[in-house]
Amino acid sequence: MNNPTVNKTENRDYLIPEMAPELERGPRWLRDVRRRSREAFNSAPVPHRGLHLWRYTDPMTFLVDRSQVSDTDYGENFGAVEKIVREHVEHGNLAGVVTDLAGREIGFHGTEELCARGAVVTKLSEAATEHPELVEKYLYQLVNSACGKFEALNGALWNDGIFIYIPDGLVVEKPLHLLRESGLSGSAQYPRLLIVVGKNAELSVIDEYGGGSLDESQPSNTNSAVEIFGLADSRVRYVSLQRQAPGMHGYMTHRARIEQGATMLTVPLAFGGAVSKQNFGVILNGRHSESSMFGMLFGSGYQRFDNHTLHHHVSGETTSNIDFKVVLRDKATSAYTGLIRIENDARTCEAYQENRNLLLNSGTRAETIPELEILNEDVRCSHGATLGPIDPLSIFYLLSRGIDEAEAVRMIVSGFVIPTLQQVPKNLRDRIGSFVAQRLEGN
Amino acid sequence: MSDKIKQQNAELASIGDDYATKYGFRDPIDYFHKGARGINHEVVEMISKMKKEPRWMSDIRHQALDIFYSKPMPQWGNTELLSEIDFENIFYFMKPIENQQQSWDDVPEYIKKTFDKLGIPEAERKFLGGVSAQYESEVVYHSMREDLKKQGIIFLDMDSALREYPEIVKKYFGTVIPSADNKFAALNTAAWSGGSFIYVPPGIDVKVPLQAYFRINAENMGQFERTLIIVDKGSRLHYIEGCTAPVYSTDSLHAAVVELVALEGAYIRYTTIQNWSRNIFNLVTKRASAFKNATIEWVDGNLGSRLTMKYPCIQLLGEGAKGEMLSVAFAGKDQHQDAGAKMIHAAPNTSSRITSKSISKDNGRASYRGLVKVHKNAANTKASVQCDALLIGENARSDTYPTMEIDHDQVKIEHEARVSKVAEEQLFYLTSRGLTEDDARLLIVNGFMEPFTKELPLEYAVELNRLIELEMEGSLG
Repeated sequence: MNNPTVNKTENRDYLIPEMAPELERGPRWLRDVRRRSREAFNSAPVPHRGLHLWRYTDPMTFLVDRSQVSDTDYGENFGAVEKIVREHVEHGNLAGVVTDLAGREIGFHGTEELCARGAVVTKLSEAATEHPELVEKYLYQLVNSACGKFEALNGALWNDGIFIYIPDGLVVEKPLHLLRESGLSGSAQYPRLLIVVGKNAELSVIDEYGGGSLDESQPSNTNSAVEIFGLADSRVRYVSLQRQAPGMHGYMTHRARIEQGATMLTVPLAFGGAVSKQNFGVILNGRHSESSMFGMLFGSGYQRFDNHTLHHHVSGETTSNIDFKVVLRDKATSAYTGLIRIENDARTCEAYQENRNLLLNSGTRAETIPELEILNEDVRCSHGATLGPIDPLSIFYLLSRGIDEAEAVRMIVSGFVIPTLQQVPKNLRDRIGSFVAQRLEGN
Repeated sequence: MSDKIKQQNAELASIGDDYATKYGFRDPIDYFHKGARGINHEVVEMISKMKKEPRWMSDIRHQALDIFYSKPMPQWGNTELLSEIDFENIFYFMKPIENQQQSWDDVPEYIKKTFDKLGIPEAERKFLGGVSAQYESEVVYHSMREDLKKQGIIFLDMDSALREYPEIVKKYFGTVIPSADNKFAALNTAAWSGGSFIYVPPGIDVKVPLQAYFRINAENMGQFERTLIIVDKGSRLHYIEGCTAPVYSTDSLHAAVVELVALEGAYIRYTTIQNWSRNIFNLVTKRASAFKNATIEWVDGNLGSRLTMKYPCIQLLGEGAKGEMLSVAFAGKDQHQDAGAKMIHAAPNTSSRITSKSISKDNGRASYRGLVKVHKNAANTKASVQCDALLIGENARSDTYPTMEIDHDQVKIEHEARVSKVAEEQLFYLTSRGLTEDDARLLIVNGFMEPFTKELPLEYAVELNRLIELEMEGSLG
């Protein structure tokens, strides 16, 4: 009744047309999935605002009128990418850099050595034809149209994506850096990432999202899907860094599934965009698998963040831990919803969750919903959430030691996010630290 | 120690095997008035006419019925169970006797027996300042101590209050919970009958608790009591209510609305123990408004019913208001206790605390669904939420869905939840001291519930302990 958005699906501008060229890409099985995803997207209503995960963000934000999508002028952003690539490759701390320019161009820098050791790092479209046995087995297994309307949108239109396969036993010591740049005003992109890490293999990935519209009145749109599989005894670290431009509307669904004895570290970091809705989930599918998540976001100006995390214990004897930090200033808002679900046959699990929100001034707004769904008794599970300003006593203490107030705030905020920063590869840590500092100074 | 527990267990066995014998009896009776099944504008008009209500009230009823029609069923929570409610199969109004009695002797024998079995007159003699007993739709017995009457305290059933104090009822009715609040509040507003009305004038400390007891006897009955409690400036009140119903094979619906108003500096303690039989859908809306420096303490127990959806709410509307909510849910076999608490901070310097304890046993499911909302003007708010869940049995389920919405930075909000089973170490310790495993488990569960039971009046605490012991019997595999 009071929700005018519900009927807008009828607006044909948002539908994927039957002749969309993206639907024709890939081998036959892939085209079939794309078509089914298109049907799912077109027939699914726009999520109702009363629905659990949509209470804080208008779904219309992520619908794109295809007739209005501009397909030009990506140059400006991509110049910056070149510079970052050079820097990354020069300091030699990476296993390689993959650049994804709004899906139009995907470049591989310094990944040859890794590929020579048996890994596959390639375009997802190429992998679909060259490694169909892998891609068909894993693609769409975790993020698909059953997840929701916007996952169906990516499922139909992704073009192009990145595919990473690490064979059994291969240990990749240095992180692999993915740089994904979005287009300017009016652009829409659907990046997709599929990672399969073989048995007893090890991989660290930094997945960095940049670019996008600089103008909030003419936003750009990114709808991203990430699927990660950690096979038995694998060790995977995945850092997602979202530092997009102020006019970006970003939607992302990440799902990882880990098997027996595997460990997974997920580090969601978010700084950019006008509206950013990200959903990170790990499914613990094998005994003795372990997942931890250390997230942080820093919002300033009028930014809106809507983050979800999921730890789904499907198998018994599994352990999970989440520590999610939120810092807000100016008029920024954040909603955090974190679910731990432990299935009935997942016995002897441990799951912990913590969400802390630091509100630097009045006018900020934070919501936190840490949820538990526990379907058996043999668990140890707890969660905690706090919200509040910086403790005035801490400021007072630092002032009394001769530190000025701005510096005191900086020290306290840095301390607040340290547990998260410690999880990030060293070369990235300084950059994240500087993002935090920049935001504290109001840039 | 073990002997004591054994003795206690023996006592327990004599209480009765289960709910059916203790509360589950039913009275075969002829009703003074038993309406037709289903609800529509004619039924609403008939209820209003029989009660000889003023026009403004029947207008409110009709409006509310339209709201009920227009609102969809909740799309969240246990939608599977909710969909089983057949609104057309429910009796919306049953009047057991023609007139309410003030002397226990005048109450018809069968009803008297019912409340005797439930221990109401005994409790009244022992520790209560006033008692109201509702049977189906209407209050059948009502009494209050003379000295309280003299102080100007009004304690009546809602129907009488509407007749005798229409101006107070009109001023506050629906102000805390408007008809459009939710589908079931709308249904209650359309079909309400009975419930308690209390008004405490300024500056009076009501030292003895007032109590109401609600009983559903008939099958497919819908009980829609409406309670309105106003405690004026600087006064204090403790109100207690309890609920039971017989065991039938088909379901009855209980959709109450309870509105509490604590004016400046007032204090209300509201204690409610819901022990409906396991064929009752208990979908109630309960809310309190606390004005400047007022305090609301809420003690909420959910033991019975098939599905309970109940999220008592305290709105802190005046500076310095305080809210405290202590709730406990016990979800046994086939039960779903979807309970929780809401605290709305809408004024500066307000504070609140929620403590929720739940036990899920067998395939029972206990959910905590809560909200702490801090509005823009509510500087220096303090709120803490603590949820503890205990799971007994491998198919027990516990959910926690707390929501915190904070629009102000000068606040301190904390939330914590823990889910666990009875710890092996604790069991081991107790059994090593000579307790049987059954006894040890009982001791641990009682300890878990203690912060709650110690807040109850003695009689209720004993009753609750017995119920839990009953529920726990043979819980070992």
